[in-house]
Amino acid sequence: MDFKTALDIESQEHWAKRGEIDLFIFRKFSPSAQLANPGRPALLLVHGSSFSARTAYDLEAPEFGEYSLMNVFASLGYDVWTMDHEGYGKSSKTDGFSFIKDGVADLEAAFPVIEKISGHRSACFFGSSSGALRAGAFANSNPERVEKLVLAALVWTGEGSPSLKKRAEKIDEWKASNLRRVDEAAYEAIFSRDVTGLTIPELPKLAAAAEMANGGGSVPNGTYIDMCINLPAVDPLEIRCPVLIFRGDHDGIATDEDVIGFYSALPNKDKQMIMMSGQAHNTTIGINRHRFWHVLDSFLTMPPRVDS
Amino acid sequence: MDKFSQNEYWVNHRGVKLYLYRKRLNDDANRPSFFLVHGSSFSGPGGFDLHVSGRDDYSFMEKFASYGFDVWTLDHEGYGRSDRTDGNSNVMNAIPELEESMKIMEAETGHTAAAFYGSSSGALRAAVYAEAHPERVSKLILDAFVYTGRDAPTLIERAKKLDQWNSNNTRPVNRDFIHSIFTRDKPGTSEEAVADALADYELALGNTVPTGTYADMCQRLPLCDPKKIKCPVQIIRGEHDGIATEEDLLAFYNQLEVRDKQFVIIPGQAHVSHLGLNRERFWHVVRSFLDMPGREDNSGL
Repeated sequence: MDFKTALDIESQEHWAKRGEIDLFIFRKFSPSAQLANPGRPALLLVHGSSFSARTAYDLEAPEFGEYSLMNVFASLGYDVWTMDHEGYGKSSKTDGFSFIKDGVADLEAAFPVIEKISGHRSACFFGSSSGALRAGAFANSNPERVEKLVLAALVWTGEGSPSLKKRAEKIDEWKASNLRRVDEAAYEAIFSRDVTGLTIPELPKLAAAAEMANGGGSVPNGTYIDMCINLPAVDPLEIRCPVLIFRGDHDGIATDEDVIGFYSALPNKDKQMIMMSGQAHNTTIGINRHRFWHVLDSFLTMPPRVDS
Repeated sequence: MDKFSQNEYWVNHRGVKLYLYRKRLNDDANRPSFFLVHGSSFSGPGGFDLHVSGRDDYSFMEKFASYGFDVWTLDHEGYGRSDRTDGNSNVMNAIPELEESMKIMEAETGHTAAAFYGSSSGALRAAVYAEAHPERVSKLILDAFVYTGRDAPTLIERAKKLDQWNSNNTRPVNRDFIHSIFTRDKPGTSEEAVADALADYELALGNTVPTGTYADMCQRLPLCDPKKIKCPVQIIRGEHDGIATEEDLLAFYNQLEVRDKQFVIIPGQAHVSHLGLNRERFWHVVRSFLDMPGREDNSGL
């Protein structure tokens, strides 16, 4: 893959507060790319259950190519934001579970900060796995903030899901504590749970090390509990904006039928559902991530309607 | 020098002469082939290379030629410049017609396969061709498609004249009929000048079209087996298209065994996406599918 990362990407760290919880917000953008691509929107990336924001979306692995989704979309002219949810990365470690609904509250706390700094009153949202559930639930309750919604590795009802069936075997364990201790081996195992061969062999160790450096070592149990016993977390009937559902063909988090059911229920007819081969659960850092970038950029740059 | 170069060819299929038309940027580059398959009521160049007075962006062929594709289309038997016969030019008849066309394309370009786009019964033609000749179809775009036809408003209406479609190999068409194609689902989704330009083009070549695809769509669906399609597939549906229900198309999508598949609904569009007001959004979606980068893993998965 031949991607040219912009040379003038700027990084910013910001903080939001939800009650006593400090929430870490991170931004990347390229002035030259924004000049070359005027009008590109803000893009807010929402992380999932296991990795914090910068491991998931700003992973540095220069010897293996561009692995930072933030760098890629900053280089395409987007104003790219992400945040660590309660209990993840640099955000406060609390005795809370960081459930999906807490993730929505985190986003509600973060957005005024984003608006104040950037002037954006709304953004395009991307979420992967339970990040898709956070983003989807946020779009349900804050439709004025969400211009477009991209849901990757989505699960709706969870019915028939191989990953969730296995996860549910430990539901008592998840419920007994607000967090679980995680070591590098556990982080690495995420990459082999569906299939192997769709990420480079070096990546699991790189991501695990990055997560430990980003504040890892423990993750809250809330999203695992939600995905095992509290689905559906998102109501498709209450999503008003254009939606892209992106699904890797080897993703065990949901069945095809479950995802199609969600798509079918979306009332907004500006909707796309794209299944891609050579992808598993982690679409953003797989070998074929450039194909995902292509799809995401295409959806976000769809020309506007000309009819009234 | 003209921006585009165009060529005309004649396909001889069992004594029936078929008109094959090609458009590309006017240079010597060898570009990927893209084959557009027309539907029941107007010809290939009529629908896909339409020029509307005062507008310069209605030609699907020129748009994709400018994107770097070598764009081809065919007038099926009984349409446009092709022979008008006593056959009814049904969907399955398109398989040998497209195969003979591909032999000419291969001789001219060296390409053994092309990306295929079909609209309405053109999507059925393209899909049955992809089933019969998977080696010829690198990607398949099915627009204004119908699978079983169950509960399709347009087909319920069309079936009222099934005896007429079955008892005659052709049906008359006139300016009012061509206008109705653009207004039957949702008036206001296209410009009136488009229907006029299309009527001017088509009626200069003839005032009948075959009935085969109408008869097929009323009584022989499903004609396509999603399990037999082996290439990446994009299904495009205009929000207001009455030719199929969303459920019908999702059932087709779900049964596609190929794992590179897309289902796209475009709001503000009706049955003829490529000639609608929001055609730029349609081009965007089609181009994105055709330009998808290749896989870089060698996992065999």
